[in-house]
Amino acid sequence: MSASITDRVLPTFLAESREVLQEMEDGLLAVGQSPDLAETINAIFRAAHTIKGSAGLFDLADIVKFTHVVETVLDGARQGRVEMSSDLISLLLLCVDHIRAMVEEIAAGRRTLNEALGAQQGPLLERLARFSAPAAKAAAPPAVERATPAAPSEGAPEFQLWDERSAASPAPGVAAASTPGSDAIADHDRWHLSIRFGRNVLRNGMEPLSILNYLGKVGTIRKLVTIPDPAGLVETMDPESCYLGFEIAFESTADKAAIEGAFEFVRDDCRLNIIPPRSRVAEYLRLIHDQPDGVPALGQILVRCGSITERELEAALKVQSSAPEQKVGAILVQQEAVSPGLVDAAVAKQAQLREARSQDGRSIRVDAEKLDNLINLVGELIIAAARTDMVGRRARSTELQECTSSLSTLVQHVRDSALQLRMVKIAATFNRFQRVVHDVSRELGKDIGLVVAGEETELDKTVVEKISDPLMHLVRNAIDHGIEPADVRAARGKPARGTVKLNAFHDSGSIVIEVSDDGGGLRKDRIVAKATERGLIEAGRKLSDREIYALIFEPGFSTAETVTNLSGRGVGMDVVKRNIVALRGSVDVRSEEGVGTTVTVRMPLTLAMINGFLVGLGNSVFVIPLDMIDECLELSAEPGHDYTNVRGQVLPFVRLRDVFAVEGARARRESIVVVNYAGRRAGLVVDTLLGEFQTVIKPLGRSFQHVRCIGGATILGTGDVALIVDVPALLEQSRRAAVRRERSADRGVHA
Amino acid sequence: MTATGMTEVGGGSRSAPRAAALEGSSQYLTFLLGGEQFAVAIIHVKEIIEYGRVAPVPMMPAWIRGVINLRGAVVPVMDLAARFGRPAATLTRRTCIVVVEIVTEGERRDVGVVVDAVSAVQDIAARDIEPPPAMGGLIQSDFIRGMGKVDGRFVIILDATRVLSDEGFATSVNAGANEDVP
Repeated sequence: MSASITDRVLPTFLAESREVLQEMEDGLLAVGQSPDLAETINAIFRAAHTIKGSAGLFDLADIVKFTHVVETVLDGARQGRVEMSSDLISLLLLCVDHIRAMVEEIAAGRRTLNEALGAQQGPLLERLARFSAPAAKAAAPPAVERATPAAPSEGAPEFQLWDERSAASPAPGVAAASTPGSDAIADHDRWHLSIRFGRNVLRNGMEPLSILNYLGKVGTIRKLVTIPDPAGLVETMDPESCYLGFEIAFESTADKAAIEGAFEFVRDDCRLNIIPPRSRVAEYLRLIHDQPDGVPALGQILVRCGSITERELEAALKVQSSAPEQKVGAILVQQEAVSPGLVDAAVAKQAQLREARSQDGRSIRVDAEKLDNLINLVGELIIAAARTDMVGRRARSTELQECTSSLSTLVQHVRDSALQLRMVKIAATFNRFQRVVHDVSRELGKDIGLVVAGEETELDKTVVEKISDPLMHLVRNAIDHGIEPADVRAARGKPARGTVKLNAFHDSGSIVIEVSDDGGGLRKDRIVAKATERGLIEAGRKLSDREIYALIFEPGFSTAETVTNLSGRGVGMDVVKRNIVALRGSVDVRSEEGVGTTVTVRMPLTLAMINGFLVGLGNSVFVIPLDMIDECLELSAEPGHDYTNVRGQVLPFVRLRDVFAVEGARARRESIVVVNYAGRRAGLVVDTLLGEFQTVIKPLGRSFQHVRCIGGATILGTGDVALIVDVPALLEQSRRAAVRRERSADRGVHA
Repeated sequence: MTATGMTEVGGGSRSAPRAAALEGSSQYLTFLLGGEQFAVAIIHVKEIIEYGRVAPVPMMPAWIRGVINLRGAVVPVMDLAARFGRPAATLTRRTCIVVVEIVTEGERRDVGVVVDAVSAVQDIAARDIEPPPAMGGLIQSDFIRGMGKVDGRFVIILDATRVLSDEGFATSVNAGANEDVP
C-alpha cells in the first residue's frame, strides 16, 4: 500500500479503532451481567482481532504486537482455558486503555511509542503473561500452543508457525488420514473449508498466509491442498494479483461462525465454503458442482484431502446424474443433508446480516463541524425570515404575506430537522459510566452495580458534551459518599451490592437526568453543622430540607470525613452546579437518610435555539422560553400584593420591571405570564404580550458572564437585540429574596 | 462624518500601520469625549458605526449601555465617559460607536465604545508619546498607555484591552450583586 493511500484511509482506521475499542470495553464491562457469556467473550475477542488486523494493514507493529498478546489471552478465555475473572477484566480494561493511547499516538502523528507508553506496556505484558502462561502449559492441543508465539516481546515473526507447518506437513495425498467409510455420511469430525481468494486480496493488504495462521489458532489444519487459479500459471499473470485457493481439512471444536471469522477481512472478496463435520456427501458434491470450469477435478482433491472417500464421491455423483434436472439444493433436502432447524437459523442469520448492512447504508457519518455550521446558518435563516415576515406585514400585500407565512412554516420545519440531526441518544454517555463505576468501586473496595434507564432519551450533542463532566462528578460522589461500606450495609439490612442508577427522560422542553444511589443518604444534621462551622449559615437558624440540601452546592462545602482522591476536597458540587447553571440548567437533591439520595439535573434540550414568547417592558423587548409558559392572563392583584388568585389557586408573581429596573411608567394594563419550571409555578408581570417567536440564542459573551436572570440574547425581525429571560434563575432569585424578606421581618418581630 | 474622518488620514500606505506597530509607533484613531481628545491604536479598531438601536441590559453598571446587533453578532456597548466616572455621554448627531477588537485570555472579542465624535487617524511616533502622568489625572492611570503629542497638543492614548477588559465588568457586577444582600 502506498504511503498516500495509508494517509488517506488512516482517519477511517482511527475512527474505527476508537469504536471497536469502545465495543471491547463495553463487552468487558458486560461480562458480569451478560446472559450469553460465550458470545460476549467472542465479541471482545473479535474486537481485539479487528484492531490487530487493521493495525497490521498500516504496519503499526507496536499495536499489532501488544494486541496480539491480548488476543491470545482472550482466545484462552474463549476456549475456557482462562477464567474471565474480575482481575482479568480489570487488566484487560487497562489494556484497552493502553491500546487506545497507542491509537491516539498514531492520531497525533507519532509512529513510535513514547516513553511513558513504553514503560506502561512492560508491566501489562507481564501481567498478561500470567494469564496466558498456564494456558500454554495446560493440555491444549499442540497446534494451538504452537499458534501462540512463545515470546511476542521478542518480535518473532508472526508467520513463522505456518512456514514451519507447511514445511513439515506432508504433500497432499501422500497419506490419507481417514478410513474410507461406506456410509453416505462423511464419517469424521473434520470440517472442510474451501476457499478461493479474489484477485484483489493482496492489493487490499490481506495476506492469505496470515488467515491460515489464524485458522491454526481456531483449530488444527489437518490437510491442505493449494488450488492455484490457472490464470496465475501463465506468463500474463499479474504479480500483484492473488491466484490462490485452498481446500482444507480442518479439525476444530469451534463453531461455524468462529471459523468464518478467520476469513472476516476477505469475506467479501473470496468464495468460501465451509462444510461442517459429518455433512452429507452431497454437500461436497455441491462444492464440486459450484466450481467454475477449468478447475482440476475437485472431487479428487477432496478425496486427497481426506474429507471424503472415493466411494462416497462416486455414490453422490451417481445420484446427481440420475436426476439431472434436480437442483443440488433439492438433492440436499431430499437427502436430509441439512436439518430444518439449521436452515431456519441460517435464514435468520442472513436476514439479520442484511438488516445490519442496510442499517449501515441508511446512516452516514457527518463531520460534527458541518452540522454546527448548518445549524448556525439555519439560525441566521430564522432571523432573516422573521424580518421578511415583518416587512411583509408592513407592506400590506396579501400575496406577500401568504408567501412569508409559508416561508415561516418551512423555516420552522427546517429548524426542527436541523436540530434533530444533532440529537443523539444519551446511551453512549451513560454507558461510559459502566467503566467509571467498575473502576472506582474496585478502587474503593465497594461492590457497586450501575443500573441505567431511559438511555433512548435524545438530546443535543452540544449538551451531551457539556453534561458528561458534571455527571461524572455526581456518579463518583454517589459511589464515594453515597454507598456505604459493605459492613454498614449489612448492618442496615441492605443487599451487599450497592446500586447507582442513571435515569433520563424528557419533561416540558428539558431533559431530566437523575443520578441516584441506594446509599446512606444525606445527613441533615451533619450538613447543618458543617455549614455553620464554615460560616455558610447562622447558627440556630431553622431551614427547610430543601434549603439544607441546597447547602451542599455552596462553594467550599464537603461532608466527607475522609478525603479520598476521588472527591471530598470540597471542590465538587459547587462546580457541578455552576456548570449546569451556565447551560441554563438546574440541579436539585432529594434524599432520605439510610435509604438513598437522588440528584436531579435539568437541562435544555438544545443550546442553540428556543421557541420564545416576546414580551414588552417599556421600550425593551424580552424573550421568555415558550416551553416554560403555562398561560398568559391579565393582571388583577390588589396593590402591594405579590400574589394573585388564579382560579382559586394562589400564584406568586414577580414584576419583571422591578427585577430588571426598567425605566418608564407602567403600562395601564399589565399582563401576567404564568411560567412553570421543575414543578414550580410563578407569574412574571410584563407590560405587553407580543407573541410567539422562534429564535436563535446568541451568547452574550464574556462581558456579561456574571449577569443574572438573563440567559442570552437574540435578534428580532427588526434587527433589534432582545434579551432572553433565564426563568430558573429568576425564580430562584425571587424565592431567595422572599425568604430574606421573611427573615428580616422575623428579626424585626424578635427585636 | 465617519467617512470623512477615515479618508482624511487613510491616504498613507495600508501596510504602514502594521510595520510601524511592530516598532512601537503607529497610527491612532483620535476621538472626542467630553471635550477631550482620546486615541486608541488603529489596529484595535474594527469599524465605526452610527449610534442607534442599543438594547439595555438590566442590572449592569451605568457604563454598560447595552448590546447591539452587529451583523448577527451581539456586541456589548460601553459608555467610556461613564467608565471614567464622568456623566454619561449625551447623544448628538455626531455620536457614534467605535467597535474595538480586544484579546483577553486568548479570546478575541468585539466591544463597542460610545464616543462624542470621531476626529482623525494620526501618526504618532514613539518618541512623541510620554508615559502616563503618575497622578493628578481624572482617569485611572492604568487605563492610559501614554500621552501623545499631536500638533503641540496632548491626546490621551488609551490601553484598549485594559479599559474594555472584563475585570471592570466583573467587579462592577459583583458590586451590584452585593448591594441586594441585606
